[in-house]
Parts: sequence; structure tokens; C-alpha cells
Amino acid sequence: MKRELELDDHKLDVKELEVKYSTSVTKGLSEAEAAQRLLRDGPNELRPPRGTPGCVRFGRQLAGGLQCLMWVAAAICLIAYGVQEGEGDRGSSDNLYLAVALIAVVVVTGCFGYYQEFKSTNIIASFRNLVPQQATVIRAGQVLQVNAAELVLGDLVEIKGGDRVPADIRILAAQGCKVDNSSLTGESEPQTRSPECTHESHLETRNIAFFSTMCLEGTATGLVISTGDRTVIGRIASLASGVGEEKTPIAVEIEHFVDIIAGLAVLFGGTFFTVALVIGYPFLRALVFFMAIVVAYVPEGLLATVTVCLSLTAKRLARRNCVVKNLEAVETLGSTSVICSDKTGTLTQNRMTVAHLWFDGQVHTADTTEDQSGQSFDQSSESWTLLSQVITLCNRAQFKPGQENVPVAQRDVIGDASESALLKFAEVTSGPVAAARGRFPKVAELPFNSTNKFQVRTGEGQVDTGGTGELRWDRWAQVGQVSSLMSPMMSPMSPMTSLMSPMSPTLSPLSPGFCARWLPPGTDTPPEDLAEVAQGLCFAGLVSLIDPPRATVPQAVRKCRTAGIRVRDMGTLGTSGTLGGVGGLGTLGGVPRCAQVCYLCRQARARVVTGSELAAMAPGTLEELLRTHPEMVFARTSPQQKLVIVESCQRLGSIVAVTGDGVNDSPALKKADIGVAMGIAGSDAAKNAADMILLDDNFASIVTGVEQGRLIFDNLKKSIAYTLTKNIPELAPYLIYITASVPLPLGCITILFIELCTDIFPSVSLAYERAESDIMHLRPRDPRRDRLVNEPLAAYSYFQIGVIQSFAGFVDYFVAMAQEGWWPGLVLGLRPRWEDEHEQELQDSYGQQWTFWQRRYQQYTCYTVFFISIEMCQIADVLIRKTRRLSLFQQGPFRNRTLVVAIVFQVCIGCFLCYCPGMPNVFNFMPIRFQWWLVPMPFGLLILVYDEIRKLGVRRHPGSE
Amino acid sequence: MSKETKKPFRQSMAEWRQFIYNPNSGEFLGRTAKSWGLILLFYLVFYGFLAALFTFTMWVMLQTLSSDIPKYRDRISSPGLMISPKPDTALEFYFNRSDSQSYSEYVTTLQNFLESYNDSKQSQNIECTSGKIFDQSEAAVKKACRFNLSELGQCSGKEDANFGYSKGTPCVLVKMNRVIGLKPEGEPHIQCTPKEEGMVNINYFPPNGAMDLKYFPYYGKSLHAHYLQPLVAVQLAITPNGTKEEIAIECKILGSPNLKNQDERDKFLGRIAFKVLMSE
Repeated sequence: MKRELELDDHKLDVKELEVKYSTSVTKGLSEAEAAQRLLRDGPNELRPPRGTPGCVRFGRQLAGGLQCLMWVAAAICLIAYGVQEGEGDRGSSDNLYLAVALIAVVVVTGCFGYYQEFKSTNIIASFRNLVPQQATVIRAGQVLQVNAAELVLGDLVEIKGGDRVPADIRILAAQGCKVDNSSLTGESEPQTRSPECTHESHLETRNIAFFSTMCLEGTATGLVISTGDRTVIGRIASLASGVGEEKTPIAVEIEHFVDIIAGLAVLFGGTFFTVALVIGYPFLRALVFFMAIVVAYVPEGLLATVTVCLSLTAKRLARRNCVVKNLEAVETLGSTSVICSDKTGTLTQNRMTVAHLWFDGQVHTADTTEDQSGQSFDQSSESWTLLSQVITLCNRAQFKPGQENVPVAQRDVIGDASESALLKFAEVTSGPVAAARGRFPKVAELPFNSTNKFQVRTGEGQVDTGGTGELRWDRWAQVGQVSSLMSPMMSPMSPMTSLMSPMSPTLSPLSPGFCARWLPPGTDTPPEDLAEVAQGLCFAGLVSLIDPPRATVPQAVRKCRTAGIRVRDMGTLGTSGTLGGVGGLGTLGGVPRCAQVCYLCRQARARVVTGSELAAMAPGTLEELLRTHPEMVFARTSPQQKLVIVESCQRLGSIVAVTGDGVNDSPALKKADIGVAMGIAGSDAAKNAADMILLDDNFASIVTGVEQGRLIFDNLKKSIAYTLTKNIPELAPYLIYITASVPLPLGCITILFIELCTDIFPSVSLAYERAESDIMHLRPRDPRRDRLVNEPLAAYSYFQIGVIQSFAGFVDYFVAMAQEGWWPGLVLGLRPRWEDEHEQELQDSYGQQWTFWQRRYQQYTCYTVFFISIEMCQIADVLIRKTRRLSLFQQGPFRNRTLVVAIVFQVCIGCFLCYCPGMPNVFNFMPIRFQWWLVPMPFGLLILVYDEIRKLGVRRHPGSE
Repeated sequence: MSKETKKPFRQSMAEWRQFIYNPNSGEFLGRTAKSWGLILLFYLVFYGFLAALFTFTMWVMLQTLSSDIPKYRDRISSPGLMISPKPDTALEFYFNRSDSQSYSEYVTTLQNFLESYNDSKQSQNIECTSGKIFDQSEAAVKKACRFNLSELGQCSGKEDANFGYSKGTPCVLVKMNRVIGLKPEGEPHIQCTPKEEGMVNINYFPPNGAMDLKYFPYYGKSLHAHYLQPLVAVQLAITPNGTKEEIAIECKILGSPNLKNQDERDKFLGRIAFKVLMSE
């Protein structure tokens, strides 16, 4: 493998290649042969690099920042236990239990994290399989679409602009083919590919295209010379290992947040530790405080909650045909403020249909019904004959084989939308296209691209033109799909345009014009010069194509608008039909005139900007326009211009989502904060650049995505707020314990039970919370201000709700103490005597005498009472967290079934911990009296009422906290 | 795929400084003085309200409590045992019978402890019928039963001011923790057993270590101010074998089904263990 690959295929000529790979350069391999070779060589894909071994990854889960803290805490406990044991104090194995509990926590969360990582790796992997790379291959003379992994040595493949090269390929024929080798060689300039051998080295020569590089434009046919790991790229091991999993930013942000929390925990713990030492606690005891505070502060269950939230949403999205490449993308989509949409296929059905034709100075209406059978226009004209010839021949689309019995309109076509429409039109109106093409074999071709905006094909053969007798055309050139009426490129045809456009209100801007001319016999034109050939043509006619907007689009666009998201159409070919939806102008009755639309748009604060206008704009003008016009349509823009649009939006502070399918969209997709590619129509380049893929190519799915993104953010926020709140009532007991010297109200093990047992389910269940009904009526969040965990959230959780909860806990604590004989006045300052193990006759407020263990069990009762108080308040907390703005009753308190179940479950666990026999000595829970469950309830009610008042305020005065 | 670039250190420092105090807007830590004031006011009112609520709840709760009898006695259904004198460190008596200094502390403790049992202090206490629970739940004023020091015999301090420490027969008083409303059943008595035989002979005062039922129940310190716990004196007659040896002794309350003495964790519930090491 280390050895430099020796390859001489580029030096061989076609005959030698045929022999070497025992194949045919015209017909390709037979299916049987291909299957055999596939079996012999294995699939054509890179073997994924061997991942980090499971035990190492598991080890990493056990050694995170939080986990280290927990290990330290456990170690402290063990030491404390060891010291106590060494002193012969056999009574208290609390510290041992605590150490065991802490270690169990670390291991269990480690297992959970490992399992989640394992699962999410699998999810991502399965996403990859969902969008497999396709390759066009010729086998036994038939053009087929196969999964790229099924390619074998000797296969004859076709590539076109936007495709990823499916294997190492020796080019046999090429038309203007350019590839991007940057991933392999680092050259950023597109490289021309042609059949000639131009260099000794196989890396430098022009006639080899490499696996996984991108074909930018043009077409090529080639022979597969190596597959899978034997390809040049497959041998570069380092490249393959770069496929490793990356940490998503939201994970990074959460880890960052956890670091802050851990830092705070250590800071608080350190302070308490020092204070305890100063007050005069023994070192070991102070260490145990430190540990207890760390345990109280660290939100042990948070990571689990976040992971569950994210993967839940990813699954929910996948069900709606949105595939997310990385989970955080969902969240980004939620904060999107501008969607730049490429019209084709996203806003429209991507089912081009011929609507009108123009020839002989007249507009003819074509049949646009489903089966396109009843063509009613006059087909006897000479111009029609010429036009139909051009439509048939200057067209790269073709039917997939084996569909002879399928109605034309429903056949599958290889080729883009416009060409497919023309192909079907030609098949219906002028008979079998394949036969016509057979009569005029292709000599050279210049495919359509966004720079030259036309397509040239030179053909050879005989053509009958009806009426004028037989003409012999040795060579002729056709120009098809000169797509633009407004493009400067159209200048040779401008007289015609000006002649036609005023009188054809029915023709949309998307009207390919078709021209043809004779070429002198024997003219041989290299593909680069084909543009030159396309001069002085005879104009045959125009065809108007429409791509009707999808039924769901207007509603989706309306939804976006209420959600404060601007939709900008930056299609290469702006259709007014789409605009009708986008600009909120309503449908203008079929296909409106462009000028008319522009006029209306100006009135409606919307604006149409064409690519040429954009090119002429001074810098800064675009930003100004974007600022003043909430809705905008860009027509006929180039990839560079799309990039400029996206950048301008981003400069204005917007979070930009870009949708696109073509290779021309990929720069914009990459530049966008979130790129959304189309699953069906999308090219590999687009899918690669995108963060999210819409499997059904439906714009409405994006809106769903936005909703889900906002939902996930909201729910995560709710969950975190819920999780954070209880830190205060867990911390406060230690604060009071040390400062007011009361018997400890809440034990470490109890805290662990709150963090990891009872509160996990409600906090995860918040991920199942439905969207607040106004979620799509709000402005997108400002990513700089509305962070996941921001100041108001922390302050509200910690200093308001958390404090109420602490009060609830202390009230219950003092009640439980007083009712058992220890009045508050006595309790304050009682700690040293209370904790004295030699004191076996401590007097309570009534003169009764208590042994140490009787006091200890009373202390456990307090733990339990405090625990129950926190639980009761946390039930109120989870209920208030269900909504951030709406009233609980607007949302419906019981509509989230998972949450209801979680609350019931939480109460059941609470009961179990309290009343299961044996608990006192194992986990320090005591059976408590029923009324101590009731004491914190008014505080829970207070939380509910207080938060309802806050929400009312937020609804009355939007934007305030 | 983070699309943000990292800021240089100098800039982030400047931003921090800006955050701590912004001279342009007069913002301190991101807020103006007025904003801080409002926030402080809010929290003052908020916490004030909570504190008031807390106080009110506490007050209401205390109103529901009787000052005489605790609401519940869940954790002290059975009393613990304790001894007097009680060495500071673990319950270990170390003394030299011929060195009065070594046991003077024990003697003083006993004297002080027994002071409240002096007849002069018990003038208000009444004689009760022995062997019977002295139920006074109907009475508004609860009387205390007299505990005559003479019942402690040689350990009363009357005959031997040194409580036997100088003679090698040290006395240890065993008492039962006060628990309100506790009515022992049967005939409770203290029984002490040395861990090893032959080192010590144990005498009890009153005989058999009996705890008379007439001292029960206890009605709490406010109703039953003059109440005195019954005592059992345990006289340890240390044999020559036991001298210079550490003698482990465990005392238990026996003869009463409702007084526990076997709790696994609580080594003082109905029992007590101590050690004696006497040298000469």
C-alpha cells in the first residue's frame, strides 16, 4: 500500500484498454460479467477507517471533565471511609455507600453516553446509506442508473456536471468536461478532462478522472480502471481517516456549559471547604463538604437529556423526510431568519411541462394535461418541423431503458427537468426520439451551463424537412435552450426577442429558443469552439415551459413570513408563478408577464433583481435593497452572485438557510449557515455541501425543519432550566448547615437520587413537549443574545424558582424537626452536639433524650422530607417549564403524555424510596408522615402562580423578561 | 462546522473590560446603575416576601404544636441507656484505686449528678406505689415520684464518698433516656454482663437492677419539671484477676417486651457497653 501506485492505463489506447479489461467501449460489460466482477473485487467504496476501539471510547466517556470531578469525589469518600474505619469507627459506612453510588453514577452515565454515541454514529451512517451515490453506467448497450458501490472494473460510465466521479476512470470521450481535483491534488482551478494522454504521470494526465473528485461541468464517458480501496484516493490512508466523526457545535457548546458549571462547582466547593476549615472542621470533614457541593452542583443528568432531545428530534425530522447530517443543524435551522431558496424543484414541482410554443410569429398552446396526448396546434408548418427536429436532437435527456410500455408522461428520464419536458413533448408530438437521434448521430456537444446559458450540438446525417423537398445536411448545428429573454447573451437573437415578447403575454421568461443552421460538410469543431459555431443561426421557434409551484408552497411561505423568516428566491430562472407565492401577490392567473410582476412587486415591497442587474450594482446597494425589501426574487443569478446574496444577508446579521440542488448552488450551500439540499433532484455536490437533505424535495419540509429546530431549542432550554433549578435547593442545605449550624437537611446520596433518578424522566419528557402554538409566530432567535443558557434563564432558575424551592424544603425540614420534638430555636446552632457520636442523651425541646442513632434516623427523615419537598416543587417546575410564553392552560397541562407519565413515575419512585423496607440503612431514606408530603405543596402552587404571572407579563409586553 | 472565527486575546480582554465597566453607557457588568437598582429592589421585595411567607408558615406551624407534648415520637419509641459518670472519650474508665486524682473526676461527676436526687431537692415529690405505672394523664399538674438515694445503697455516695473507686468497687449509674409517654411493660431491670468471667462481680442497687414502673410515664419538661429518672447503680467488684486488665461490660435492659435492646446499628438502644481498667 505504501508503494507509489503504478498505473499505465492513461498511456494505453482504446483497443488495448478493451483487451486489458475485457470490455467493450461502446456496449460496456454484460450484467452477468459485472456481477461476477463485483463478487471478485468487492463493492466500490472506501472501507471506513477502523474507528477508535470501543474500550478507548468507553474510557473517554469515563474520563470527561464531570466524570473526573466525580472520581475525585468518590476518592474523597473512600479516603474518608478508610480514615474512619482506621479510627475504629464502625458505625458509619455512609461514605462507603456514597463512594459506591458515585462510582455507579459515573459508570452508568458512561455506559449511557457510550450507547448514545454508538447509536448516533449508527444514525449518521444510516443517513449516508439513505442518500447513496448514483452512477450512470452503460452495460450491454443499455444506459442504467446504478448505485456507485456496484461499479466494477471495466464498467463504462457517464459523468456530467454536478456528479461525483464514481471510481477512477480513464476518459474515453469528453465534452467540455472539467473536474475539481482539489480534494486530491489541492489545485483549486477546475481541470479539463479529455481522452488524450497528456502527461507521463497518471496524476497529471488529462485522461484520468479520480474517484470522489467532482465533475463541475460538461460530460464525459469513461472506463472504470480501479474501484474502492484500490483507487488513488483509497490508497491515501490519511484522507480516508479524515472521515472520522466530528463533534457537533451544540455538543461543544453544551460541553462548554458543563465546564462552566464544573468550574462553578469547584469554586463554590472550594469556598465552602475553606470556610469549613476556618470554622474549625477537621480536614477530612471539610473535604466531604467540598465533595457534597460538587455533587449538588453538577447537573449529572444533563448530558443524557441533551442527547435524548437531539436524537429524538433527528428521528422526528427523518420521519418527515428531512435527513440531518449533524444534529446541531436542526437547531441552526430553528434560528434561521432568511431562507434563500433555489426555485427549481424546491418551490415548484420540478416537473417541467411545455405550455406554449411560438413559431411563425404565432403563439400555439400545447396540451399541458397529465398525458399530453391531445396536441391541438397546427403541425403542418415547416417551422414546426424544424423546431421539433431541434427539440429532439439538441437534448441530452433520454428515457431509461425498458419502459416501452409505460405512457410517455410517466416514463423515467435521465436528464434535467427542462430537457426531460422537451423530450417527452417531442416523443408525443413527433414520434420516437431514439429513432430520430439514430438518424443524426451526435458529433460534438456543448452542454448547457449557467455561464453561457445555451447548449450546442452538432450532428451529422440526413434530414427531411417537410414541403421543401429533400435537403442533405452533412453537418448542422443546433442551439437549444437559449434560456433567457433578458440575458445579454441573447444579443444575436435580440431582434427576435423584441419582436416576440410584447405579443406573447403567455410566454414565461423560461422559454428556450431553438435555432439551427447548416454546417459545411466535414467541419470538425473541438468542443471548446462550439460556441463559435453557434452564430448566424436560423431561428426555429420558442417553447415556453412552466414548472407549477407545489401545492404546499404558498402556505409554507406564509408560515415562514409569520415566523419572521424572509424567503428569497434566488433561482437561476425566476418564474413568476413562484413569485406569486413568494411575494404574497396571489396567483396572477397562469403565468404573468415579467414586467407586470416587477411592477406589482415594487408595490408590494417585494422586488425582482435579475442577475444582470445584480452584476451592475455598486457594492452595498444589495445590502440596502435587502434591508428595504423584505421579499426579494433574484432571477438568473450565477453561482458567484448566489454567494454574494448569501454573504450580504449574513452581513446584515441574518442566519441564512440556502436550499439548492445543482452544482451551481454548492458554494452558496456551503457558505450558508445551514445548507439544505434536495434528495431527489440534488446533485452529489449539493448534497455534500449541505447540512441537511430534504428527501422529498419539498419546500414545506424546510418549514417543518424550522419548526422542529425552534422546538428543539425551546425544549432543550426548558429541560436545562428544569435541571438547573434544583441546584439551589440542593446547595442551600449545605449553606445553612455550615452557616447556621443546623443538622444536615439533605444528604449527598439523596442529592444523587434527585439528580440521577427521579428528575431524569421529567427532564427528558420535556423533549416530547409539543411546540407552543405560537412558536411560528415569533421572530427567529438572535444567536448572540438568545443563548441556550443565558443570564435571564439562569437568574430565573437559580434566584427565583430555586429559592422558592429551597424555602419549601426548609419549611418542611423545620416542620419535620419541630413535630418530632426539635423546635427551630433549638435546631439553630445544634449541629456540633447533634453530630457528636458520644452524645447519647441529647435533650430535645421537650426534655426527651436521644441517642446518636435516633438523631441520625431523624436526620434521614429530614433528608427524605427535603427530598420530597424538592420533588413536589420540581413537579410544579416541570409544569411551568412546559411553556416559556404561553399559559400552562393554553398549552394543556396533560397533553404531553410522556410528561404526565414521568411525573407519576417520579412520585412512584419517591414513594418507593420512602416506604421500601431497608431503605434507611442503605440509601438513607425514611418512611415519612403523609402530611410532610403536603407541606411543600403550597410552595409548588406558588411557583405555578408566580410563573403564570411572569408569562402573562411576557405575553403582554413581548420582548421583556 | 463552526463558522465563527476566534477573537484575538487583546480584543477579548478589551471586551471584558468594556463589560465590567462601560464608560460610554455607564454600564457596570452589563447593566446601568438604575437597572441594577431595579434588580436589587426586585430581589429585595421577592426575598422579603418569601422570608415573610417562611416566617408566617413557621409561626402557623408552631401554633399547631403543643409546648408540652411533642406531636410525634416516631424515632424514639424505645429509649437509649446511658451511664454516669461518662468519660469524655469513648466509654472507658481508667483509674488507679490508690491514686485519688485519677478518679476524682468520676467522683465529682457522680456527686454533681446525684445532687438533684438529694432529699432537699425532692421535697415536692411524692411517694408513689411501686410496681405500677403512675398514670397522671388526667391531672393538670403532674407530680414527680420520689427517688430515694438510699435505694442506691453503697453507690448512693452517702456511705462512701468515693463511690467505691478507692476500694476497687467502682460504681456506675445506669439510667434510661427520658422519653415522653413511655410506659414500659413487664418488669424492666438492668443486667450487666462482663465479657470475660471471673474478673468482676456485679452488684445492683436497687436489687436486681430493677427499674420501678412508678417512674413512668414521663410528661415532658414543662409539665413534669421535677421528674427524676430512675437510676440503677452497678457496683463492679473487681477481683484481683481483673486488676490491670481491661474489663468490657455490657448492660442491657431486660424484662420488658417494649424496650428494645438488640438494634443492629444503635448500640445504645436499651443497652450500653463500657470498659473499666483499674490499676493499683
